[in-house]
Amino acid sequence: MSSLRRDTRYLLATTAPGVFFIVVFLVLPSAYLVGMAFLSNGPYGLPTPPVSLQAFRELAGFGFLGWSPGNLYTLIRSVWQSLLATAIVILIAYPAAYIISRQPARWRPLMLLAIVVPSWTNQVIRSVGWMNILAPGTPVSDVAVWVGLTEPQMGLFPSQFAVIVGLVYNFLPFMVLPLYAAFERLDTEQVEAARDLFASPVGVFRHAVFPQTLPGLMAGTVLVAIPAFGMYVVTELLGGGKASMIGNLVARQFVQASNWPLGAAGAIIMIIVTLLGLKVLRDLGRRLGGDREVLL
Amino acid sequence: MRRGALNNGLRVFWYLLLVFLYAPLAVVVFFSFNAINSSARFAGFSLTWYEQLFSNDEIVDALLNTVVLALTSSLIAIVIGGMLGYGFYRYRLRRLSWLIWLIYLPMVMPDIIFGIAEMIFFIAIDRTLGILAPGLGTMVIAHVTFQVPFVALLVNARLLALDPQLFEAAQDLYASPWQRARFFLLPVLGPAIGSSFLLALTLSIDDFVISFFTAGPESTTLPIYIWSAIKKGVTPEVNAIATLMIGSVFIFALISLFARKGSTQP
Repeated sequence: MSSLRRDTRYLLATTAPGVFFIVVFLVLPSAYLVGMAFLSNGPYGLPTPPVSLQAFRELAGFGFLGWSPGNLYTLIRSVWQSLLATAIVILIAYPAAYIISRQPARWRPLMLLAIVVPSWTNQVIRSVGWMNILAPGTPVSDVAVWVGLTEPQMGLFPSQFAVIVGLVYNFLPFMVLPLYAAFERLDTEQVEAARDLFASPVGVFRHAVFPQTLPGLMAGTVLVAIPAFGMYVVTELLGGGKASMIGNLVARQFVQASNWPLGAAGAIIMIIVTLLGLKVLRDLGRRLGGDREVLL
Repeated sequence: MRRGALNNGLRVFWYLLLVFLYAPLAVVVFFSFNAINSSARFAGFSLTWYEQLFSNDEIVDALLNTVVLALTSSLIAIVIGGMLGYGFYRYRLRRLSWLIWLIYLPMVMPDIIFGIAEMIFFIAIDRTLGILAPGLGTMVIAHVTFQVPFVALLVNARLLALDPQLFEAAQDLYASPWQRARFFLLPVLGPAIGSSFLLALTLSIDDFVISFFTAGPESTTLPIYIWSAIKKGVTPEVNAIATLMIGSVFIFALISLFARKGSTQP
């Protein structure tokens, strides 16, 4: 009994510092931020009593000049850009993961490293790279102008296109890695069986490959769509205000000290959408996967 | 025949993918050696931007801050995160599994909210108590907070892969907690601790958003410097700083490749 109590105390001691850090420096600050949304906007943008829902009214678009849909557009654009980027990432990551899994075992670590290494450089630096490539006057922009994609002098940056490219670039590894793990465990006999039954390549994919790689796909989607929704750096650098997302809207309220309660209200919406997204993805994974174990 | 064509298609796809992945980095490196300030036209090789870089005290300070922040936070994070991962392992069956959700919080929360929440929290603490003024100290705290869960999960995963009887054996031999840690846990967890230290370092150096919001005026890091240089429209040396950071990433990648080859660890 006493040994059990000593054990418990010892084990509590091992978890306490970590729990302390997360509670004191993450849970408490977040609670403080959430509470701020229910105060009024005082001088210098700082929150002051009385308690009000003013920030949420403003966020919904009610201002001095009546209702404007700007913030609503930003929210919809955030969801849309995140989903679009995720879809493109899936289209690129599936063949990439398949290719890697088909190589001799000694090549695979190197190929995976080749996918991951660019993501070890800082987000800001990766965006600088795309700014260099897509800026007006670069060969890529010249081609885009020639094809008629964009107007001369404009280039491809800043634009919504540049933001999507940046998002895809940023999150690609997070889809390739879980899909590769799924492909590596793929039961090839099922694939052979489907081929023997004269399934078309689409049929083979639909009935033999897709169900088996679904856990990887769902894990990858969580790792891509959720953080893409909360993106700040790529949209701020590559979008030039034309494709800003909810994260940029929230940050602006704090950095320029214009309205902290409004920013806090935006943060609450971000948290709610993030949690809803996680729930939707989990339900979707369960429904598509049937009795199969889905990693969520 | 048809399969051969498919394989060629996949080969082309793979090389296009590599171009997509490395072109932005290559462009940065290439134009860092440009004689003029342009990322559209190359006007001859020059090291001008590198000379400017190293004569700029602000950048040298930013480099030092980046290194100090990464090393300090990673060291603290592997100690605290390692203990947490171990604690969660031993507590698995004792009705504390809800605590594991706490670990996932820093991982799913958008980093922009994480950063802003910490910023306003540190400012409030500074105003009322006079401690935790934004600076390198608050940045270390913020980095440790997001590194700890990753370390804890890695260490925890390693422990879950072990034979539970090993722990009983260590206890049956009347090893004190300290002896168990020194002669059993540390050797067994060595590789996991090593890789979580590297992961923590990478996370710290890769982070911009959380650093940006918790930094003080004297604690600029390289990514923050690059960010503000772009915002001010001053870009000449940016490619050169970025090239140095890309270069260190590649050295790091080579080391990890050789380390993998050298070790028998799967």
